[in-house]
Amino acid sequence: MLPYEPDDTLAHRLDPRSKLAVQMGFAIAALSHTTPGALLACTLLTGAIMVTTRVPLGRTLAAYRVALVVLVAGPLVTTLSLGSPWLDPSEGVGPALASYRALLVLLVSAAYVRSTPVRDSRAAIQRTIPGKPGRLLGAGIALVFRFLPVLRADLRTIREAMAARLGTERSALERASTTGVLGLSRAFTRADRLALAMQARCFSWNPTLPTLSFSRVDVPAFALAGALVLSVLL
Amino acid sequence: MIEFRSVTYGFDDVPVLADVSLTLADGEFVVLAGANGSGKTTLLRHCNGLLDPDSGTVLVDGRSVAENPVAARTNVGMVFQHPRDQFVAATVGADVAFGPENLGLAREEIDRRVETALEAVNMTGRNAERIDSLSGGEQSRVAIAGALAMDPTHLVLDEPFTGLDEPARRSVVERLEALSRSGTGIVVATHDLRDVVGLADRVIAMQDGQVAVDTPPEQGLEGLETLGIRVPEVVSGLE
Amino acid sequence: MKTENEHESVELVDGAVVRQFARAALLAALMGAAVVATIPYPLSPAPVTLQVLVVFLAGLYLGPLWGAASIGLYLAAGAAGAPVFSGMTGGPGVLLSEPTAGFLWTFPIAALVVGLVVHRGLALRDPADVPLATVVAGLTAGLILTYVGGTSWFAWLIGTSLTEAAVAVAIPFVPADLLKMAAAIVIVRSGAIDTV
Repeated sequence: MLPYEPDDTLAHRLDPRSKLAVQMGFAIAALSHTTPGALLACTLLTGAIMVTTRVPLGRTLAAYRVALVVLVAGPLVTTLSLGSPWLDPSEGVGPALASYRALLVLLVSAAYVRSTPVRDSRAAIQRTIPGKPGRLLGAGIALVFRFLPVLRADLRTIREAMAARLGTERSALERASTTGVLGLSRAFTRADRLALAMQARCFSWNPTLPTLSFSRVDVPAFALAGALVLSVLL
Repeated sequence: MIEFRSVTYGFDDVPVLADVSLTLADGEFVVLAGANGSGKTTLLRHCNGLLDPDSGTVLVDGRSVAENPVAARTNVGMVFQHPRDQFVAATVGADVAFGPENLGLAREEIDRRVETALEAVNMTGRNAERIDSLSGGEQSRVAIAGALAMDPTHLVLDEPFTGLDEPARRSVVERLEALSRSGTGIVVATHDLRDVVGLADRVIAMQDGQVAVDTPPEQGLEGLETLGIRVPEVVSGLE
Repeated sequence: MKTENEHESVELVDGAVVRQFARAALLAALMGAAVVATIPYPLSPAPVTLQVLVVFLAGLYLGPLWGAASIGLYLAAGAAGAPVFSGMTGGPGVLLSEPTAGFLWTFPIAALVVGLVVHRGLALRDPADVPLATVVAGLTAGLILTYVGGTSWFAWLIGTSLTEAAVAVAIPFVPADLLKMAAAIVIVRSGAIDTV
């Protein structure tokens, strides 16, 4: 996994909203074109984004290995058929190009993650989505980041306890249901304590919003996002 | 000042608080003792309107808690057991800012309160640290800072020493002592007096939802043992 | 001393909402943690996680609205960079172009459907008191939905036929998902978990 890393790249200085706009624009542009020329352009843009954001290519590909397996498996499946000629590589070309552009979108996304701390993403969401949904979404994202390591540790403890009590001899069903019961009841116990603590600290619908401000570097980012969206018309 | 006037409260018709009347003055260091199930936690949760009485009233600075929950929750900061489950953000500074943000304060005021609160618990400059990487005692102190950032007149702690080792307990007690000296009223609920009885102005013991003992610690703590409360040797010896 | 009206504008979130919200957020975190809770499974190139079980539990124990909100929150946190998607990845691109993102997008709807069928509306009841057939119907509907979403997304993104897509991302996982459905039923019948 490739988390946020503090740095001073151009992407780190951008407002999260303009980075999200570029990300969306790129996905729209990449997913609406499959011509080799368009894919070449997308590849060059991806390379530029990765270099300026200092995203390590090898480690990023390794992080997305699960997705890569499926991206390779997909085109392979289409080359097979249930009868003569059994295997037809030409069938797989379109899907292979489609898989490739999906990979490009993932790489651009890695640049977003590396350059954007949680509080920025959260602020972008809370400032973009108005009212109560935005409030709960913003606070909820912070809670997921906070409790993810806690609940991972819970699941690890549960697994170790099961293994200690002859867990490997248990059926898969028993293991899944035991993990589910213990994992969820612990999570809910924590949630009930958390709810009290949040109330004691005046959890409100109208808090001070996180600060965010656009600067001059955001203008070209938005222009790029706009151009990417308009490229759909080409 | 926190006042309980004839407060009664029950779950499923079983009384947990039975006609409790009590006044906790500003600046007082109160130890609220009692065995599990004696009603301590339920009493505390009435201080800031997390529970509302079935009958009777609770007042904070003369105002009804039920009618002014925001005022009650800012004036009475509350810290619960299990600090690990009380944090709303992954990093220290972001968590301590939660209370003042909810009050809609200006960003500069929020930052100022976070600094002051972290200073009060000896965690200055550690805003960016991940809460998960802190020790148990540090987590307890950050939880206290989260309550202090509301700028309360009283700090209420429910079993704050559960699961803490000796040095961690000492670091928390030390901070409570400093806060008490600077004028914050402190209420500590515990079933084990050894850590805090030396600081207390007043020991209140609960039994079956009623106040059984209400006394300065230097007078007559011997009755507490019968209520299932651990009284440290050193204090018994004072009498 | 505080002035009389200092915090008059503060609108507190109602206690019952805070409680459901906290449970929804922690279930979202559990969903993220479950990405590493894998069970060994020979038919898949990638490890099979217990995430579908968590989607079921969201509908069963949080009901349609908070259950769907919880899984939606999981997606939002992942988009914001939390390492909660398969292979412990995160970022907005996963939702936009991951070949199996169709499953992710359908998970909140599946939680909603499970919740609606089991609770017969928006008011929560204890799933242990719901007839077994209703629970099975709800879980089955939710599961079929995720297959529909996952398969059609894959077919659209990679440009395969629906059948080819189903062969690649859905059919191999049916036995594992039936196991998770059985686990959800065991959990419900045990009555070990309470709704708010």
